[in-house]
Amino acid sequence: MADGAPSPLPTGIGLRARHLEELPVRKPDVGFLEIHAENYLNGGPALKRVERLRADYRFSLHAVGLSLGSAEGLDAVHLARVKALVDRLQPDLVSDHLSWSVTSATYLNDLLPLPYTEESLAVVCRNVERLQESLGRRVLVENPSSYLSFTHSTIGEAEFLAAIVARTGCGLLCDVNNIHVTCSNMRLDPTAYLDALPRSAIGEFHLAGHVINDADGETILIDDHGSRVAEPVWALLREALARFGEQPTLIEWDTDVPDLDVLIDEAARADRERRAFHMGAAA
Amino acid sequence: MSALSLADLQTAFRSACLGSDSPDLAALVDGERIGADARLRIYRHHVFDSLSTALGATFSSVLSLVGEGFFRMLAREYIAHTPPSGPVLSEYGADFPDFIERHERVRDLVYLADAARLDWALTRAYGSDGGTALTAAALAAIAPEALGELRLRLRMGVSLLRSAYPVDRIWAVAHGKDDASIDLASGGVELVVFQRDDDAAFARLTRGEAAMLVACDGATGLAVALERASDADSSFDFATALPKFLNLDILAAP
Repeated sequence: MADGAPSPLPTGIGLRARHLEELPVRKPDVGFLEIHAENYLNGGPALKRVERLRADYRFSLHAVGLSLGSAEGLDAVHLARVKALVDRLQPDLVSDHLSWSVTSATYLNDLLPLPYTEESLAVVCRNVERLQESLGRRVLVENPSSYLSFTHSTIGEAEFLAAIVARTGCGLLCDVNNIHVTCSNMRLDPTAYLDALPRSAIGEFHLAGHVINDADGETILIDDHGSRVAEPVWALLREALARFGEQPTLIEWDTDVPDLDVLIDEAARADRERRAFHMGAAA
Repeated sequence: MSALSLADLQTAFRSACLGSDSPDLAALVDGERIGADARLRIYRHHVFDSLSTALGATFSSVLSLVGEGFFRMLAREYIAHTPPSGPVLSEYGADFPDFIERHERVRDLVYLADAARLDWALTRAYGSDGGTALTAAALAAIAPEALGELRLRLRMGVSLLRSAYPVDRIWAVAHGKDDASIDLASGGVELVVFQRDDDAAFARLTRGEAAMLVACDGATGLAVALERASDADSSFDFATALPKFLNLDILAAP
């Protein structure tokens, strides 16, 4: 890459309902928009607005409800609806999480943790393969934020992700904030976590804020996507950049969503970090 | 302690998230520094909190009318009893209005269930694909002799709501668009709820208009629907009603 050249794709932002009117008018210079698939599966005015934005922006489709870790497999009806949306929007990226949220016809609306066992690995790989076959494309699987681990886990989380990549050919969405949160909560080393991820599989970075809480008198970090990216997470992004190079990068903000300018400002900071890495790598 | 299968672990986790203690599950959680119960509570809290927020977004009038604290109490009870069956949260809460109607603690708020029904209808209208609306030109192209048997259907996402209370004004008060006091005895309303280009909205109907649309929705031919409208309201005038329906885009293209 040329010395000091701009990043290939500037940092994107999550598209949130409160910015749906402002975005098409202001058209801020962000690299792409990421939408939550489950908010746009019915069509209607919301989807029409998103489709109008396609003239000006590239898209990433981030699913939160496929439940890739469900032992009972993917829900065929939901999968078909997500496929219809992918076909309609033709996003650059499609992703969901290493977690589960559906069991016995109940959707729990959280990214629930898996025991990292051979049984879980077989379940997740079967679901990822089915998703990729259905969509006819590679998907990215995102590392979750965790608040507990299971005593019968036999595989580390990063190694588990690497095994999914090896078996299914999927890519990984490296959520840098989630690595910070999980490693802090589980007393893991975030550098070792990054080292265990397969470099060529990383296809996107996520950045978000978290909150520091207390449980049983101990500090616990909660991934609430409700504030600016914390300094330790920016530091971890620099480590991720050094390993995986520049990737499409997203600022996520889901609770207490602020003015659009705040998201644009966070995206600009991410771009500065990436430029600094770029200059350093070229020097 | 032997490990549960993944399917059994997920069933136990579901119970833990919805409020039941699950010793089998807690025994599998690493409780170092922070105990298993405290760790599981984080997930339980998030499940209830995020689903309450989702219900509050759908039932925004109810939230405004009863206040956040009371709404969360109602939502918590509802979620524990009726968790969502799928991941599209705008589709969650179909029977929340009936739950409200049966709930002892809001029995005095006689209009609250209908406010919830209006919220639900608006959410459904907003989240519907809509399909194509009937136009005057399409109607004019139909042979006059076929009109009597013509089956006009409501457009997808359009719904009808009858309330014994002025629920449209109650909605306006809840959303800060009307600050007048409302006399609950002032009479009921018939509403049609529909999608517009960028949002969803509602409009009042006369009794005759509502009777006609109810009949159409029941797959009745136009001649019979007009009879029902006149039976319900002797002043019903199709020549006034039809342009209103076409203007609101509430009828589906044939």
